[in-house]
Formats: sequence, C-alpha cells, structure tokens
Amino acid sequence: MSSRRSSFRRKEKPAFQRFKDHCRHFTAFMFSNVGIILLVTFYTIGGAFIFQAIEIFEYERLRSEKPHRFIERNVSGECLTRIWELTAENISFFDHKAYRKRVNDVLLEYQRAIVKKQLKGPDVEQWSFSGAFLYSLTVITTIGYGNITPHSEWGKLATILYAIIGMPLFLLYLSNIGDVLAKSFKWIYSKVCLCRICPGVAKRRIIRERRKMRHLARALQMHHMESGGGSSSYSSSSSTTNSNSSSSTDYTKSSYRSSSIVDVAYSGSDSDIEREIRGSTDEITVPLTVCIFVMVGYILWGALLFGRWEDWNYLDGSYFCLISLSSIGFGDLVPGDRVITADRDKVEVSFILCAVYLLLGMAVIAMCFNLMQEEVVHNIRAIKRGFKACFRCRSS
Amino acid sequence: MPSKFQRRSSPQAPGGLGVGASSVSSTPSNQPRKRVKRCCRNFVTFMCTQVGVGALIVLYAICGAFAFMNIEREYVDKTAAHVLELRQNCSQLLWYITEEHNLIDKRMWVNETNAVLREYQAQIAGIIKNGYVGRSPEQIWSFPAALMFCLSVITMIGYGNMVPRTPWGKGFTVIYATFGIPLYILYFLNMGRVLARSFKFLYRSMHDCTQERNFDTRLDALENGSLGALTLRKKIIVPSTACLWVIIFYVLTGTIMFANWEKWSFLNSFYFCMTSLCKIGFGDFVPGASLTTAADVDAATHKLQEDIAADPNELSELQSIADQHSKLAINFVYMLLGMGLVAMCRNLMREEVHVKLKEMKEDAKLCVEDTRLRFVGCCGDPRDVYENDYY
Repeated sequence: MSSRRSSFRRKEKPAFQRFKDHCRHFTAFMFSNVGIILLVTFYTIGGAFIFQAIEIFEYERLRSEKPHRFIERNVSGECLTRIWELTAENISFFDHKAYRKRVNDVLLEYQRAIVKKQLKGPDVEQWSFSGAFLYSLTVITTIGYGNITPHSEWGKLATILYAIIGMPLFLLYLSNIGDVLAKSFKWIYSKVCLCRICPGVAKRRIIRERRKMRHLARALQMHHMESGGGSSSYSSSSSTTNSNSSSSTDYTKSSYRSSSIVDVAYSGSDSDIEREIRGSTDEITVPLTVCIFVMVGYILWGALLFGRWEDWNYLDGSYFCLISLSSIGFGDLVPGDRVITADRDKVEVSFILCAVYLLLGMAVIAMCFNLMQEEVVHNIRAIKRGFKACFRCRSS
Repeated sequence: MPSKFQRRSSPQAPGGLGVGASSVSSTPSNQPRKRVKRCCRNFVTFMCTQVGVGALIVLYAICGAFAFMNIEREYVDKTAAHVLELRQNCSQLLWYITEEHNLIDKRMWVNETNAVLREYQAQIAGIIKNGYVGRSPEQIWSFPAALMFCLSVITMIGYGNMVPRTPWGKGFTVIYATFGIPLYILYFLNMGRVLARSFKFLYRSMHDCTQERNFDTRLDALENGSLGALTLRKKIIVPSTACLWVIIFYVLTGTIMFANWEKWSFLNSFYFCMTSLCKIGFGDFVPGASLTTAADVDAATHKLQEDIAADPNELSELQSIADQHSKLAINFVYMLLGMGLVAMCRNLMREEVHVKLKEMKEDAKLCVEDTRLRFVGCCGDPRDVYENDYY
C-alpha cells in the first residue's frame, strides 16, 4: 500500500521540488505565524517596560515637584486625636449612650475616608513588571480589566497611542493564528475522529458507501424501468414522442444522473479510493456542536485552573473566563488579587499564567468562529441548493 | 393605495368585454404596482434589517436592564450590616478601653485605641476589596445605570464600575452575553455597511460637485468627457483620511461634551472616549459614576431630617446632579452611534487597503519580473535561469 502511494506521489512532483516547496512553506510559516506570535509577545513586553517606566518616572517627578500632594493624610492618627479629645471633654463616664453615639460618628467618618482612599487606589507599587505586562495585554486585546490604570498624563497618552497601534496587530494575530489553528484542528478531526489515519477503515467506509450508492442506483433504474412505461431508460431519448416530451426529457435527465451514479459506483478501483481519501480532507467541515464543545471545554478548563489557583468557586471561575475571553473584562475578579500582599512571586506567576491563558484562549475562540463560519456557509449553500432543486421540480 | 385598488378592480368590472381589453389595461397598471411593491419591499427589508436590528438592540438592553435590576436588588447586602456591626464593636471596644484606663494613663490609652483602629481599618479594607463601595444595591442599580451596564456587556466594553454580586446575576450575565454579543455583532456589521454606503454616497456626490466645477470648461472640449467621468466615478474610493477625520471629529465632540458634563480635564475626557470606542473600557472614568440617583437624594434628605449635623450642601449638590438622567441616555446613544461609526470606518478602510494591497502586489510583481530580466541579461545562459525560475 505504502509503496503504491509513494509512487503515486513521485509521479506528481520530483523530489527536489518537493523539498524546495517544503522549505518555502516552512519559511512562510515561520515568518507569518511564529513571527506574528513573537511580534505580539515582544510588543506586549515592550509596552510593559514603557508603561512601568513612565508611571514610576512620573510618580517620582511629581513627588519631587509637589511633595505636598503626596503627604499621606494620617487618617487613623486624626481619628485617634478626635476620639481622645472627645473622651477628654466628656469627663462624665456615666452617659454611655451619648458617648457611643459620638464615637460612632467619628468612626463613620473614618470609614468613609478609608473607602475613598481604597477606591482611589493605588500607587506605583502595582506597576510591577508582570502587572504592567497584564496591563498592556489587556489594552491590545481590548479586555481592559481596569484593576491597574495609568494615573499620569503621559501614561494616558501612551495608552491611547499603544492601543491604536496594538489593536490592529492583535487582530492580525487573531486572524492568522485562528486560521492556522482551524486548519490543524480540521486535519486532526478528519484524521482522528473519522479514522482517516488508518487506511483500512477509510477504505472500508468508502467501499460501504459505494455499495450503498450502488443499491440506490439499482433502485433508481428499476423505478425508471417501471415508470417509463416500457421505453427503456437507456434508449428513451430516441423513442420520445412529442406529446409528453417534457416528461421524457426529465426521465432522460434523471436516467443520465442515475447512470453517472452507476458509473461512479462501479468504478471503485484502489487508486480512486486513495485519491478520494486524500482529497476529501479539505472538504470536511467540522460540525457546530464540536466547535461549541471546544469553546465550552476551554472555558470550563479555565474555571478549573483558576479555581485551583485563586480559590474561586466554579461559577466565579467560569464567569471570569467568559468575561475575559469575550473581551468584556469587568475587572471585579482579577487573578493575583488574593495573594497581593502575601506572596510577591506567586502574583507574578499568576499574572503570566493569566496572560498565556488569554492569548491562547482568544486564538481558540477565533478558531472556533472560523470553523463555525465555514460550517454555516456550507450548510446554507446546501439549503440553497435544496431549495433550487425543489423549485425546479415544481416548475417541471 | 386607493388607486392601486381601483386599477385592480377595473379589469374585473367589465369582465366579459374580452380578454384583449383586460390584458391591455393590466399591462400599464402592472408597472406602477410593481414599482410600489418593490418600494414597499425595499422599505420593509430596510426596516427589518437596519432599524429592526437597532430597535432589537435597544429592546434587548432595556429588557436586560429590568432583569438585572430585579435580580441584583434582591441581593441581601450582608456587608453593609457587617460593616455596621464592626463599627458598633469598635466603639464598644473603645468604651471598654476608656473605662479601663480612665484617661489617666494617656499613653496606654493611645496604644490600645490605636490597635483597635488598625484592626478596624484592616477589616474595612478587606471588605472593600470584596466590592463594598458604601452604597446599597438599590442605589447602585438604578435604571439608567443598569442600562449602561447592559450596554457595556453586549458591546464588550465592560467598564466594571458595577458588577453583579449574586450568583444568579453572574449566571444571567453569562447567558446575556452569549446571546447579546452575536446580536451586537450583527448590529455592528449592519450599521457599518449602511453607514459606509451612505458616507460613500455623500462623499461621491461632493466629489462630483467639486470635480464638475473643475472639469466644466474642459468637458465641452473633450469629446469623450462623459465616458471619462463615468470611469472616474466608478473608481472613486473614500480615502482613509476622510474616515479618520470623521472619527476624530466624533471623538473630539465626545471629549468636549464629557469634559463639560463631568468636569473632567480634556485629557481625561479624551482618554475616556478613546478607551470606550476601542472597547477597552478600564472603568477608571465612567460617566454614570458621578450621577447619583433619586434614591440617593432620598437618603440624603432622610439623613438631613434625622441628623442636624449632616451637610446641607451635599443635598443640593445631589439634587442638581440627579437631573442629569437625560445625559445618561445621550451617553447611551453616543456609545451606540460611535460603535456604528467605528464599524463604518473599518468597512471603508478595509476596501481601501484591499485596493492598495492589490496595487502593491502588482508593483512587486513587476519589480521582480524586471530584476529577473536584468539578471538574465547579465548572467547569460538564459536556459539555466529559466529552469530555476520555473521551479
């Protein structure tokens, strides 16, 4: 079997050219796909360095220029002195209730101050390398969690410029990688799921299909023999009369069709089967359910992964994954939040992990959309053909 | 409409007069009827596709807003009660400390009180990290805010200033996004196509106008002037600079608008517009955030009546802000239209890039051919080269 196949291929192209072709394909692949992955990665890393530098530099500059802005209001100290004053002036310890009420008021103010400070957030400490990396990734993927945002003016301007250049780059990455992934997924699907990888099964399947077709053709022929009213279907074109010309031409048409089916059915030599096996790989479309299954599987896998990493429950994990992969990005759940103070290294690792998950996930989603589009177009074309055939039947 | 009916009935009325008469009267009547029919069909398809999709988006957003309001207001905010309890505890502790040390030993008192306050601060910080912003769900999930939330979900902007807290809300968000995003993409593509077509038409007519003025004198002289104009008209492609001008103008409008309303600086406002239209949506600036709701005003008045110490200025500020609900609606429209404009530019620019790429490819091909010819000329032995090139 293998010798026959190789001889078949050798007949098509000489070895040297084949080698050259492979080389060319390989270089093209390296330049287009690996190149764009590297480009996106380097762009993100470069962005991370730039943002980190800008934010820290601007922070330092502002701090040296206008130090009064950066003096931390000693909120707890203020609160303490106020309570002390309150206690000192209210010497009578017998009025427990009044004292409690006034202390409560002071505490409420204190709490408000804390809330404001916490919401206004953060400082330069967030702009670690991995934080900046995740930030620039969320800019170009248009997720935009918003857990880290630039506070300086130059940082904002740089973000706008970075987004304008980065987003088309990322779209290019998506379409390219989506294409490649779709092609390889299709190949795997056709090889593994339809058992094309072992030639025996495929051959048997094709032979089975041929047998079915042969039965069908025979049944069709029988049908024509009966309904043709004596005139044999092979010679019907010569024995037509003017009165039922339309119907007879119809018969001839169908008989031609059936004869062609018969031809196909009976000409089942081995080389034909070989060619069909190899040729049909391109025509296979992956069904919709498989695509949806892949997407749901990826999201659930992410939920599992992040659930283990971040101590989220499964609902939170899958919610986070869907919100991120659909590029909504609320930012209420962000990886690395839990351990922000506990362990610095772990935060870094979890940011990088999240970035890789997102990059891969976006490509997988693009792949699924690619495949689904193909499938839907294929289906619609089939439906159109069916409609057309239906109308032709009625009109004739 | 009545004329249509009349024409339809007129061939029936004579009836038996003859086949010829009816056929004669029906052939001219068919023409306008067909036209009307075609017009109607076009109108219906337009309504169904463009306006229908737009209306569908708005309806979907409104339905989602109501659903989210209902779901999220059910959320029993345990954190508020928890915070209250913490505060009571803290004051109780302070009381105990004061009772114990009796103001005599100030250093001891300060030390202990400081420890209590520290602990309180740490607890509050933890609660804030989990999403406590000091407002009740009724205050957060007002109708316009919920509408903005729905829009931010289906347009994939995702500001994240307000997020669902209940598990039901989270699940519903997931479902809402899976159905809403394809719908939005449909709107995006449709809107992009329609706007691109109309913009192209506008541009073309303007281009024609200016061109005619220039060519008017020459057109008479040239015999095949009309042919030239025709070919010219076919090849007009809207240059990408025009699209960019439109987008820049739109963004600048938004910048000025938001800067005036929200009292942001121009850079911040510009930054907000860009990050929103690019669908990044950090959520550090959100237009609805400073708009408070009627519930807020109610709470403020309530507090004012209860507590004399509360700030009356705050209330007036709140009331003046609460009038701004219409601004939120305008914001909604601004976002939707802006997305449509972005789609339009994407459409137009893709066309131009295609044309440019094709030209570039042809140029490159010519260049390669040229160098090959030159190479062949230099190195002689054309057969060898030819063979190499053939492979």
